[in-house]
Amino acid sequence: MEVFLQVLVNGLMLGGLFAIIGIGLTLIFGIVKVINFAHGEFLMVGMYAAFLLTTALDVHPYTTAIAVIPLLFVFGMLTQRFLIQPLMNARDDHIQIFVTVGLSTALINLALLVFGAEFATTPPSGLRTALEIGPVRVLVGQLVVFGAATLLVVGLTLYLNNTQFGRAIRAVAQNRAAARLMGINVNWVYIVTFGLGAACVGLAASLIAPLYPTSQTIGTYFVLIAFVVVVLGGMGSITGAFLGAMVIGLIDSFSAYYIGSDLREVAVFTVFLLILILRPQGLFGGRQTLSHVS
Amino acid sequence: MGWSKTLKATVAAAAMMTATPALAEVTFGALFPFSGGLALLGEESARGLEIAVDEINARGGVQGEPVVLERGDAVDNNQAIGEARRLISRENVVAIFGSYSSSRSIAASQVAELAGIPYFELGAVADEVTGRGFDYLYRLNPTAEDMGEMIIEMIVEQVAPALDIDPTELTIGILHEDSSYGTSVASHQNRFAAEAGLNIVTTLSYPANIVDMSSLVLDLKEREVDVVLQTSYQNDSVLFLRQRHEAGFEPAAIIGSGGGYSMQQTADAVGTDLIEGVLNIDFTQYVVNTEFTPGLEEFVETYRAKYGEDPRSGHSLTNYVGALAVLEAIDSAEGLEPAQIRSAVDAIDIPAGTTASGNGVWFDENNQNQRARMMGLQWQDSRLVTVHPADAAASELRLGD
Repeated sequence: MEVFLQVLVNGLMLGGLFAIIGIGLTLIFGIVKVINFAHGEFLMVGMYAAFLLTTALDVHPYTTAIAVIPLLFVFGMLTQRFLIQPLMNARDDHIQIFVTVGLSTALINLALLVFGAEFATTPPSGLRTALEIGPVRVLVGQLVVFGAATLLVVGLTLYLNNTQFGRAIRAVAQNRAAARLMGINVNWVYIVTFGLGAACVGLAASLIAPLYPTSQTIGTYFVLIAFVVVVLGGMGSITGAFLGAMVIGLIDSFSAYYIGSDLREVAVFTVFLLILILRPQGLFGGRQTLSHVS
Repeated sequence: MGWSKTLKATVAAAAMMTATPALAEVTFGALFPFSGGLALLGEESARGLEIAVDEINARGGVQGEPVVLERGDAVDNNQAIGEARRLISRENVVAIFGSYSSSRSIAASQVAELAGIPYFELGAVADEVTGRGFDYLYRLNPTAEDMGEMIIEMIVEQVAPALDIDPTELTIGILHEDSSYGTSVASHQNRFAAEAGLNIVTTLSYPANIVDMSSLVLDLKEREVDVVLQTSYQNDSVLFLRQRHEAGFEPAAIIGSGGGYSMQQTADAVGTDLIEGVLNIDFTQYVVNTEFTPGLEEFVETYRAKYGEDPRSGHSLTNYVGALAVLEAIDSAEGLEPAQIRSAVDAIDIPAGTTASGNGVWFDENNQNQRARMMGLQWQDSRLVTVHPADAAASELRLGD
């Protein structure tokens, strides 16, 4: 029973990690309708920034969020404005995917050039301390990630539902042409949304950096799981991404312990395929269009 | 790069047309990953080769001619092949030295084999490098198989006695990343452990870019594993060492297989407390009984003078010793034709314990050096100290209380 509880908690904590990375992706995916393959590299950039600020200024890694979130926000906006937007009306939508793949490769190699192949370790600052809660152990940093992911979901949902700009974002997501006719500056909404998605990754980066060593390939693993989480939850659904992350985290944790560590990815992707066959729109996806010209 | 290569080739072509044989120098290829993700240890390996060449040139070169190294950048397997072709056909190298990475070596040595040019592998450990029946490929360094054998030998001869327990009563868990490096070392560990009658309770594999090992740690903890063998890169070494601590899993011994366990950065990342006492197997490192490694101190001094820093890993040392043995043999060869080089190299007979790395040189029928061995190491006071075999040990193994 103790082992079961520990595996359960491990799975939930892993879910929190996947959630905080997946939320930004689902925002970009659901609203700008661009598949951002460089999402993992945004995380890498944020983690390197958190590392540099923490070591240079000798501050707690969490405080770097003050700088890393705006940095990624601007980085996301620039990506949308100068890389994606010029291709928004391209005859073939897939060209945008290739741009993000190119950006991803460029960022990985840039990091290799700047930081070398060695990895950067942000000081854990006590966040890797294990708390014993009853029979289970959990890290302080993991709890914070879980809490932050939950708050981020609540915060974003409130923002999208209750503010003028949030409504504009949802309007653009529903029908770009109609939104433009209503006087919404669609390009600006896209730029800000891309920025918001990237800023979520900025928050994730500051929270994850003290837990995991940063390397130029750190994004490649997370981005695959983030895509699974987003598709599973229903593209563009923020609550869905959160719950999808929990599902994936739990399957990963339980399969690794009870089936075998080499089969964890088999388990994760089998469940992923099954859910998609039975519910192609994802767990929480409503019917929505993914076309740019709608 | 392309422009300077073209320029070089043009100059070389012009030189070939006009040069007289009096200007002869002997060119060898140095094929390592000098850029990309493997650049750090590729460069470190090449430095050992360069020091060996300097030493030979100071003694008058090979067969009276100065030795020149032409670098080839094996950034990936395709480029390794391309650069091997360039070295052979355009630079007319006498032989190629390489390559640190097993996959680069396997790719590039095929080109050399077809061209009939000797290829001296100084650092790649995969079994397949010498397992292909090549005539022109020689490997000077110890292999993945030796790594597995050495780990089991160390458990039987040192770890079990230090814990005051019969080796067969230890429960051993094997943990490895699932690429060819981890898989091959783990299979050798399993085989040698079975031969020694040891009790392997589980073998767990995982992808090297794993982000959470808590389930694996829990598995090992529930099985009450005494000795954990991990074959891993850096990320997963750090992850395991941290997560086993966080989960309150305290095995009596943890033994790495080179990779992440040999790097100072891993020690820095996990901190002094967690790395202390951790065991490892790798090429000869610098804290060793120098009676077994005569010339080690001179090597380190030369290295410092040439590169202005301490060696960053044992790769340079192992490459230096291997290259020096080959260059000395070529010096005594009849000429520089591949067949003459081969017969000179086949005749090398250097006993163990007489070189700067302690490795001897004697090639078997597969052209694998049978006198090269890994060493058992332990992190003691934040340094990687040699503890096995006994004649090379710089310190006693510290385990238990």
